[in-house]
Amino acid sequence: MPNHIASGLKYLAAIELKKQGFNQQMIADELDIDRSTVSHYLNGRNLSWNSIEVAKTITNLCPKDFLIMTRTLFKDEQKTRKIVSICKSGDYHAEVTDSCIGCGLCVDLCLMKAVSLDSLKAHINSICCCGCLICQERCPTNSIKILEVNNDREYERS
Amino acid sequence: MIANTKEVKDEGFDIKRSAEEVRNLSFKDHICIGCGICESTCPVDAINVAEIGPIVREEVDMPKIDIDEDKCVLCGMCSGLCPVDALDFTIDSEPISNIVSYPHYISSAEIDDDTCIYCQRCEIACPRDSITIARSLPERSDLVTGEIEADEETCIHCGICDEMCPTDAIDVDRTPGEESIEIDKDKCVYCLLCKKICPVDAIKAACRICSYGDYDLNPEDAVTTGSSFIDDETCVKCGWCQEICPVDAAKVKKQYEGTLDIDEDKCTVCGTCIDVCPCDVLSFPESPGPATIVDNIHKDEQYCIHCGACERACPVDAIDVKITNVDYTPTKSKSWIDKFEALKN
Amino acid sequence: MELKVNQDNCLGCGVCVVACPVNVSISPDVSGGHGSRTEEVIMMVENGVIKLFSEDKCTKCGTCQMFCPVDAIFLE
Repeated sequence: MPNHIASGLKYLAAIELKKQGFNQQMIADELDIDRSTVSHYLNGRNLSWNSIEVAKTITNLCPKDFLIMTRTLFKDEQKTRKIVSICKSGDYHAEVTDSCIGCGLCVDLCLMKAVSLDSLKAHINSICCCGCLICQERCPTNSIKILEVNNDREYERS
Repeated sequence: MIANTKEVKDEGFDIKRSAEEVRNLSFKDHICIGCGICESTCPVDAINVAEIGPIVREEVDMPKIDIDEDKCVLCGMCSGLCPVDALDFTIDSEPISNIVSYPHYISSAEIDDDTCIYCQRCEIACPRDSITIARSLPERSDLVTGEIEADEETCIHCGICDEMCPTDAIDVDRTPGEESIEIDKDKCVYCLLCKKICPVDAIKAACRICSYGDYDLNPEDAVTTGSSFIDDETCVKCGWCQEICPVDAAKVKKQYEGTLDIDEDKCTVCGTCIDVCPCDVLSFPESPGPATIVDNIHKDEQYCIHCGACERACPVDAIDVKITNVDYTPTKSKSWIDKFEALKN
Repeated sequence: MELKVNQDNCLGCGVCVVACPVNVSISPDVSGGHGSRTEEVIMMVENGVIKLFSEDKCTKCGTCQMFCPVDAIFLE
């Protein structure tokens, strides 16, 4: 079952890349899957719709849950980074204040590898940031602020 | 997920975090002077410095500082601000003192080998036994040289020189008919006693060192050579060597400039500060006579590094150490600059 | 680190009472070898043995331990 959900996430990523104008070969390379599989995905011949439903729910979780769930499903940080950066539903802007001591904890914690140290200060690449807030929560000097600048998450209406 | 590990060793401990890079904080208990600067610097309150008095007196056996590895974020500030480098912080095995973005104190202790006369006064004075002066003296036999010759024609073989010679270098055979005089140049020290005492001036001799005598000789240069070594690990840049050097070969740049004040009204002359001071600044004053009570602590402020270990250890808060100036390498990090500036109080 | 006494070893000599720098600052009488007139001090000899009164004032300098001839007062 977890594998089906992981495939569901890949399906969503493939659709998203198609929207961005990638051709089938590029999508296959990007997601490290067979071109025929991509073709199946894009033509609607795919795994169970139920798995896709679950995958969609996961992408709509809060960014931290989405990230951790994806890592648990893929058990591979590089694949996790790829899926999350394609399917993330918001854009983020990070601010690091001068109280940063350069301990590098955020660099070690960031699953997206969005943080680097320069001159004893953390620098966060907003393009890579998935908004999980792990760095903000664990920063010993509360020097990190992650701001959500755009959100196209689908909220379920009840 | 990402956790620090702590390894306790004989002379301290290591705290390590291995993720994107390997950060390692190493504490050397034998170097630590218990000043407490790391405790007040730590941004996450992970460091606890013990009362240093009973530890240096060996009344209790415990490490001078303890770091809670769960709280420690391995930022390296304690290492950067430790005035004696008892805490070593490395990133991927590179000490932060070699990494330009990390600031460190501008302090040094150096002995200029060109000026040094290898008298070893600094080695004896150094309160931390950090200095080694190796010296080699010229060979005595190279210097004690000269010329000596006995004129067999003039010599009357009286034997006076034989009897007087302090090193038994002269042998006079006085057997009638077989009289002779022989001088062993290996034993001779060219004191010229024989030359002076000879009743018939039969001995021609000269000493090379003092150029005294019958020959005009150039004395050999008597040069002492050597080398100096300061162990940077244990040296605290206190300035004893600089003060005591007779030829100004030792130069010390201290981490801090500051003041040291002892409130004589509060001081009970217990001597705790004397025991904890890493650089022998404090002492009991010389007692003016037997059974007289000393009522203050003597200080030689020129050796003070203003670390504040005495202030921290004083049981009655009688000591006030103030840092007025700190020199450190430039950094872009405001938080690090703030920590260095906060030392001045 | 904590200040402890072992009354079984104590000779009641009172050296620790007069050596303690905190005692001297609380009650200057003790520095002359007299008993303290106040119970504010850290320790005092009572009934021939040492007794701790306000151990919370101890600054753990270890001077008492250095002077005690029989290790009856110590930091642990």
